[in-house]
Amino acid sequence: MFKQNTISSLLLCAIFALALFGCKTKEKKDEANKVAIIVSTLNNPWFVFLAEQAKEKANELGYEAKIFDSQNNTAQETDHFENALASGYDAILFNPTDADGSIVNVKNAKIAGVPVFCMDREVNDPDAATSQILSDSYSGSVSIAKKFVESLNKKGNYVEILGMVGDNNTWNRSRGFHSVVDHYPDLKMVAQQSADFDRNKAMEVLESVLQANPDIDAVFCGNDAMAMGAYQALVAAGKADKVKVFGFDGAEDVVNSIQDEKIVATGMQFPAVMAQTAATFADEYFKGKRDFPKKMPVAVELVTSKNVGNYVAYGAKK
Amino acid sequence: MNKLWQKGVLGVLILLVAYNSVYFKKLDEVKATTAGFDGAAYATTFWSEKLTPAMEKGVDLSALLQQLQTNPDQAFATHSHALGIGNIKYFPVKGVATVKNVRENEVQVALDAQPAGTELTIATEYIFGNAVRDASGQIDINAFTNTMDFNTVSAELNNIIRTQVIPPFKGQVKTGDRVEFTGAIELNQKYLNFSSIEIIPVSLSVEKQ
Repeated sequence: MFKQNTISSLLLCAIFALALFGCKTKEKKDEANKVAIIVSTLNNPWFVFLAEQAKEKANELGYEAKIFDSQNNTAQETDHFENALASGYDAILFNPTDADGSIVNVKNAKIAGVPVFCMDREVNDPDAATSQILSDSYSGSVSIAKKFVESLNKKGNYVEILGMVGDNNTWNRSRGFHSVVDHYPDLKMVAQQSADFDRNKAMEVLESVLQANPDIDAVFCGNDAMAMGAYQALVAAGKADKVKVFGFDGAEDVVNSIQDEKIVATGMQFPAVMAQTAATFADEYFKGKRDFPKKMPVAVELVTSKNVGNYVAYGAKK
Repeated sequence: MNKLWQKGVLGVLILLVAYNSVYFKKLDEVKATTAGFDGAAYATTFWSEKLTPAMEKGVDLSALLQQLQTNPDQAFATHSHALGIGNIKYFPVKGVATVKNVRENEVQVALDAQPAGTELTIATEYIFGNAVRDASGQIDINAFTNTMDFNTVSAELNNIIRTQVIPPFKGQVKTGDRVEFTGAIELNQKYLNFSSIEIIPVSLSVEKQ
């Protein structure tokens, strides 16, 4: 009798548990999946565009999406990951602040079963993110550097302004550039300093460099915001007509400046392509796909006064 | 006495576990393991085992140029390689051409059958970028821990071209010579430009006329 009661109770419990689980599963199915978009900074229009494109595409695919700004701070980024995981976000479209420092955040999301799709910047762990959709910064900088060498006729003094030192893109761009320029011994780098991809910092850096090295012929900047900052510094010093400025990104003010022949060249990245691919990958993940390329490079195109008519801010003309 | 004995054994066990759980290494040793990729060695093997055979099977450049003018989509779909998304694509090509002009940074050549409006050069100065690496279709970006290592492969392949392929060619090439080549070309699929097609050479042999 006792045994029969125990079995009945256990059966009842099992049925109740199954019913509860079923309700929960159904509730989850009915809920739209949520996508967190965590970007390194919204203090740069390029990243604002990247984040907005990702959000727009996620919304278009039927998902709720929210943008989080890490303000170039890995600790802030960690907080956003913790919040996103605790708030039940189902995927993270991620633009990291630091190639090494951000790995732990991606791994925590992976442990929690939340896929992470990196956009534009990579983390130095091939297994952490579900997929990384990255600009081919190295190739882009090689193209810029060829133009740089030709424009300077293989000789002159130049300054390099780097982006954030913890970001792989900074070094891929610098390495791509130097893989060309360093073959020309008459091209002398008189200063190399970081300005953290920031326009104002780049202006200050170049102002300071110009005091010690007034006789420069060119400036290569790791992004367009810094190129505009450098150009401002050159205007203030009365050297804008003499010194050639090169950027990287394809931001609106630089595309316009190339048209006006104030800036020589930039590398056009395609943030919309990266953001939309990341959102599409998240959609495919929700639908059951698991086999994603670990890395997906996106080509960067050289923009000069010869072909600037083909481009608009952040991409090619449609 | 018995308790003291037990505590002693426990203490020894804890010490043993602690000793075997912690390892000390110099930071530069740790860095050496992450920065241990030998790009030059990788490129040398890749060059002889994969790249050269792939280029020898490349598309005939005359036929490719004809197809690019009549059916560009099919030409790109059939013959081009790219590692990711975008308009930039690379083709492994081969052919025989006549030297028209030897310039400081390149050698202008003409194929026997070359569509009007196309201009071809063999690069001899600016040997840079990923054209050769990617045109081969023989390399997988996902096999590399980070893109810096991956890009080092390109730099080292270009170095082989710069030191082994270009000097003997530049030393003897003259206007009017016939040149047999294999190599890579880069084209923008959205904005096709036939007026300045540059061949990054992988092999060059000159036949004096």
